[in-house]
Amino acid sequence: MAAQSEGSAEEIKGLRRCINDLVSMLALPAAWMGGEPLRIMGNLLDALLSMLSLDFLYVRLKNTADAATGEMVRISPTWAVKPGPQEMGERLRTSVDDDFQESPLLLSNFFVEGDITLVPLRLGLHDDLGIIIAGSRRSDFPQQTERLLLNVAANEAAVWLREASLLSEERRVSSELDRRVAQRTADLAAINDELQREIAERKSAEEKFLREETELKRSQAHKAAILDSSLDCIVAMDHQGCITEFNPAAERVFGYKRENVLGKPLAHVLIPPSLRQQHHLGFAHHLATGESRVLGKRLEMTALCADGREIPVEIAIARIQQDGPPSFTGYLRDITARKQNEDALLEAHTRLAQSEERWRSVFESSAIGVALADLEGRFIATNPVFQKMLGYTEQEFEQLHFLDITVEEDRDLNSALVADLLDGKRREFEIEKQYRRKNGSLVSVRNSVSVVSGSDRVPRFLLALSEDVTRRHLAEAALDKARSELAHVARVTALSALTASIAHEVNQPLSGIVTNASTCLRMLDADPPNVEGARETARRTIRDGNRASDVITRLRALFGKKSTPFELFDLNEAAQEVIALSVSELQRNRVTLQSNLATDLPSVLGDRIQVQQVILNLIRNGLDAMSTVEDRQRELLVMTERDEGGGARLSVTDSGVGIDPQIEEKLFEPFHTTKGDGMGIGLSVSRSIMESHQGRLWAARNEGPGATFSFVLPSSTNT
Amino acid sequence: MDKLVVVVVDDDESVRESLPDLLKEFGFAVLTFSSAEEFLASGSTARTSCLVLDIAMPGMNGLDLQKELKGRGDKIPIIFITGKRDESIRKRVLEQGAVDILFKPFSDTALRQALHKAMGSD
Repeated sequence: MAAQSEGSAEEIKGLRRCINDLVSMLALPAAWMGGEPLRIMGNLLDALLSMLSLDFLYVRLKNTADAATGEMVRISPTWAVKPGPQEMGERLRTSVDDDFQESPLLLSNFFVEGDITLVPLRLGLHDDLGIIIAGSRRSDFPQQTERLLLNVAANEAAVWLREASLLSEERRVSSELDRRVAQRTADLAAINDELQREIAERKSAEEKFLREETELKRSQAHKAAILDSSLDCIVAMDHQGCITEFNPAAERVFGYKRENVLGKPLAHVLIPPSLRQQHHLGFAHHLATGESRVLGKRLEMTALCADGREIPVEIAIARIQQDGPPSFTGYLRDITARKQNEDALLEAHTRLAQSEERWRSVFESSAIGVALADLEGRFIATNPVFQKMLGYTEQEFEQLHFLDITVEEDRDLNSALVADLLDGKRREFEIEKQYRRKNGSLVSVRNSVSVVSGSDRVPRFLLALSEDVTRRHLAEAALDKARSELAHVARVTALSALTASIAHEVNQPLSGIVTNASTCLRMLDADPPNVEGARETARRTIRDGNRASDVITRLRALFGKKSTPFELFDLNEAAQEVIALSVSELQRNRVTLQSNLATDLPSVLGDRIQVQQVILNLIRNGLDAMSTVEDRQRELLVMTERDEGGGARLSVTDSGVGIDPQIEEKLFEPFHTTKGDGMGIGLSVSRSIMESHQGRLWAARNEGPGATFSFVLPSSTNT
Repeated sequence: MDKLVVVVVDDDESVRESLPDLLKEFGFAVLTFSSAEEFLASGSTARTSCLVLDIAMPGMNGLDLQKELKGRGDKIPIIFITGKRDESIRKRVLEQGAVDILFKPFSDTALRQALHKAMGSD
């Protein structure tokens, strides 16, 4: 029994170790709670490898999600090789049957030299959890305690694997549940959202519906209001052409009552008979084809009124397409007034055009130059006369400033006057100035310049009416020259007449002197000398000499005075001198002269000789007027008197032929004469002389025969 | 033998006074008239050898008288005397047949030559 006891002690020792290991093993699951299957198995394999003297431990778990992690291996530190779980698993599957029919199984040279005993430990009741394979090269493997430990460990592992599996499943289920709940929650949320949206949409739709209904109501009210209050006539008809609406404006314009025309064919109500056929054809064509020449356009047509009048209307027709057949609404407007306005406007336009044309024609054909310039002075428009006057074309003028063509010396004045115009200091001005023509020659003009106030469309501009006064200046110069020549001629003529008269006056006594002296000499030379005759002739010679002396004295009185152009003199005295010089001529013409000179005559200021020439002219004129008078006394009255105006008046009244009414107006014109031998300048020159004295010369018919020529000179105190 | 009769017609009295004395000194008988009308009315034309005639006179002037005489066929030589020196008058009267025209004042010699011309020889 010693051996038995020795063996028993060893056995007890082994058993004790086994119990310790079992306790350790059984203590393991405390760490496995809630653990992962692979962690549990890893933990178990580590414990078994250290408890038992094993070469390796291999585990393969089933029903794990990851096959790669379903295998696990623990290798003894004594091995030189360290095969991985998959390599180990592969070698095991090729070396042994899956179900380990033989157990324990002996394998040779399994990764290491020598024989190795494999013990499978099935996990789970039906191996459904996997398998643990333990291998050892010990020959006594597996001992009873090792088998026990391995089985306990396998059972324990299976419990906990199942536990872990259950836990895992529970977790999976829980997670799935969570996922499903989350999914469901999300679905519910989505559904909820959708519901909310639908609710919102429905609400919106309801609101829209409500709004549309309101809108519709409002629209209908609006439409009614429009229909009622529209200034336009609104007439609607259905597809059959019958009137369905006829608003108050239409009633007013066309004179129909709404209730009388509703349902009636429009064509018979509003369309004049002459247009009905066309309407029917057009309407039928439209209904058949949809084409229309009137829809959507603004047309002018003629409409028939209740009283038979046809009026012009503007019409726009809209087609209203609803579910059923189309209807049509026409908007009509009575455009009679507008037509009239248009006609009036057209007429006004025509009148304006005519007026424009007239003014243009005035502008174009004006006899004087017309130029328009802007306020800067640049030409805007010029008329043909102005263009011709200056030699520039209208286009050339548009490039010119008025100062460009104004001669240097006139520019300053002209600019100043224009500035006054623009400043409003003057309304217009007149200027005589010279323009330089395009060809360089000068032209004298008289310009009337004004500012034409503008309008909305036309800004203010300068208007110049320009008259070419070159000719007038030349004519005036020529006239002055002619007058001066005339005056000269008149003077010479008057002088020569005077000279002839004087010569006659002087020659008569001179002739007497010569004759008497000759006779005297002859008488004294006779044998015996006729002393008595000589004495008589000598006496007559002295008498004639005195006569000649008187003539000279009178001439001296007439010409001898210093010829100051203007002097104070007595008109009576001047007249008497002229009368004295005219005596012989008066006698020869058998004219009796009467003089009636005022004593209160004021002295006058002037050219005495010129005034005497006038008096002489008037006396001669009177003589001439009476040269053919035989049936009555040839009388000449020279009269002076104080004029009502205080001046001195002299009149020469003859009893001659008087003034022919036909020539009355021409009396004072130069070269007008009724005399065969006259030059016709006497009265003209006389009048010029009087005018140069601020006096006046005129002619008047007498109550009896003849005429009276008078002049008046202002009193010296008046001048 | 009777003296030749020279007729002086002039409206100027001084001429009518002075000229006849001179003509008488020349040896003519002299008749004076103050106007042409007076001369024509006197009936002296037939015995007039020479007419000394003023041109400018009131009424019928010297030229009118010349024309009148010529119209009657009377060929009395006429010497015109005038105070107005006018060559156109000279030409005109000479064309009408006058012997000469003397412008006042004229010398006795000029008158004497004219009278000689009028009556051929003295």
